[in-house]
Amino acid sequence: MTFSGLILRNLFRQRTRTALTMLGIAIGITTVVALGAVTAGLRASSSAFVKAGGADFLVAQRGASDLSFSTLDEQVADQIAARPDVERATRVFLEVADTPGNPFFFLLGYDPGELMQEPLRMLAGERLSADRPDALMLGSEAAAAFGAGVGDEVRLEGRTFHVVGIYAADDDWRDAGAIAPLRTVQEIARKPDVVTAVHVVAARPRDPDRVAAAIEAELPEVATIAGPEEYGKVDQGFEILDAANLAISLLAVGIGAIGVMNTMIMSVFERTREIGVLRAVGWSGPRVVRMVVAESLFLCVLAALIGIGLGVLASRLVLVVPAVSSFLTPAYEPAVFLRAVAVGVVVALVGALYPSIRAARLSPMEALRYE
Amino acid sequence: MSEPLIQARGLEKAFEKGRIVALRGMDLEVAEREFVAIVGPSGCGKSTLLHLIAALDKPDNGRIRVGEHELESGRHLSRYRARHIGMVFQLHNLLPSLTALENVQVPMFELGLGRRERKERARRLLALVGLGDREGSRPPELSGGERQRVGIARALANDPPILLADEPTGSLDSESGSRILDLLETLRRERGLTVILVTHDAEVAARADRIVRMLDGRLLGEEWAPRPEPVGAGAGAQQSAG
Ligand SMILES: Nc1ncnc2c1ncn2[C@@H]1O[C@H](COP(=O)(O)OP(=O)(O)OP(=O)(O)O)[C@@H](O)[C@H]1O
Ligand SMILES: [Mg+2]
Repeated sequence: MTFSGLILRNLFRQRTRTALTMLGIAIGITTVVALGAVTAGLRASSSAFVKAGGADFLVAQRGASDLSFSTLDEQVADQIAARPDVERATRVFLEVADTPGNPFFFLLGYDPGELMQEPLRMLAGERLSADRPDALMLGSEAAAAFGAGVGDEVRLEGRTFHVVGIYAADDDWRDAGAIAPLRTVQEIARKPDVVTAVHVVAARPRDPDRVAAAIEAELPEVATIAGPEEYGKVDQGFEILDAANLAISLLAVGIGAIGVMNTMIMSVFERTREIGVLRAVGWSGPRVVRMVVAESLFLCVLAALIGIGLGVLASRLVLVVPAVSSFLTPAYEPAVFLRAVAVGVVVALVGALYPSIRAARLSPMEALRYE
Repeated sequence: MSEPLIQARGLEKAFEKGRIVALRGMDLEVAEREFVAIVGPSGCGKSTLLHLIAALDKPDNGRIRVGEHELESGRHLSRYRARHIGMVFQLHNLLPSLTALENVQVPMFELGLGRRERKERARRLLALVGLGDREGSRPPELSGGERQRVGIARALANDPPILLADEPTGSLDSESGSRILDLLETLRRERGLTVILVTHDAEVAARADRIVRMLDGRLLGEEWAPRPEPVGAGAGAQQSAG
């Protein structure tokens, strides 16, 4: 028999209680993992959009609470495009359209001329042309969702569009969305002469960081975003999500630790006499502490693993909702799993601290006399 | 008699803020390899004395020396318990969820033995107490006498020089009781153990080298077992005031 064998034996004695405690912790960790994966997925899809079409960075309105609320004067966009250190500036208007089955359908307005420069993989048909305001290109996922192909008509925001092409994009936003001429989308949104953002490719010699800094210095009303970590400049969504993640993790730790503490106190209390026997046959106080802590650790780490499994499952289930799958693929970054295991370990240690010290402090004699 | 192995002087111990006095100046000396039986009426402090020698509790006054260990120091007591004392309880006190073999291994964790060695050693000890074929049984599946023998095997786990037994036969019928005593006697002979046994049973006590009588937390008297030469009943007994 090994020390860990003894610990397993102790946990197995109160199967139901062990299982229920584990379930409680596992549910907490499921939430941590699912929300973490969703947040990471959102970050990835937003950053994919930032870099869409090979852009170095995105320019949007500084301080917008959400990227879709960002507005830039086309004049500002022209100013950026005219800079010698900018090779290519692609204006984009982001409109969230309500379609049957997907209330968050991304309708993107592009200038047909600028779109020609974009590296976009066409699966069928062709790109927008300047003379057709009702032309529409569908992302491959959106085409599948609409069941539409080239030559078909699609109704969006009360307008009838003609599908001229199907494209595949690396980012979820565009792949599950559609592209229409910039003017048309501006009309639909009733916001003429403004765009949401500008995708920028820096000119050679390419030093995007310097270009971005120069643009921010010259145009105080804009913010440049090169990656997800800068996203907060134009979208507070992630700050809120990060705060939610932290809150859920802390909540899971708090509730979990109380549950584990309760379980371990009960378990130590029931085994008072046994602990007296262990002390009487020579076990040291620290060894008793180690036993209780190891029991708690085993319970919580196993619960964390179960929680990770359930969390992955839950984040997959979210994808069943088309509205969600259109802009999000959960991302399973190691950090999310590490956080889950860390929550488990902290819960175990905090939960076992008091019970284990209590167990070790028992006088051997009193413990032996305990009925 | 050379320097005694165990030397207890003026032991005092009270419980419940002094309202219950268990020991009032108890003295005891035990030589190496001696087999001592402690007898006395219920509540006279026999178990308390044993617990103090086992360092399970501390005396309010007085001192205990075991070999070169002074017990009051309060430190390294678990190490002392693990290596020097084997304790046999009246109610075996085995861990119910562990098999006989595993119960015997419990004290060995303090010794830093490898897993194999622990198991081998526990096997040998169970065979020694005649339970080689019950290794996988858990305490609830064993008879009272068998449990007590597992308890003895566990007490011997770390090969201690001293065995303390608190009414080990108290809950057994006389036949199982006498088998336990035979076992203790064999162990003492073969392993050179020093044995202190608390009992209520005169027959059990009669098998010891010496009987220590206690009354009211004090030493009442001592009787040495008759020498091998035949002597009149009780005539060989010596008395000494406590
Ligand atoms: N932990 C304790 N708390 C309170 N009183 C105690 C405690 N331990 C022992 N006592 C009391 O001290 C006295 C001596 O107890 P002890 O157990 O040593 O007696 P004993 O001689 O072993 O008796 P018995 O033959 O019945 O086992 C008793 O009055 C007992 O009630
Ligand atoms: Mg007693």
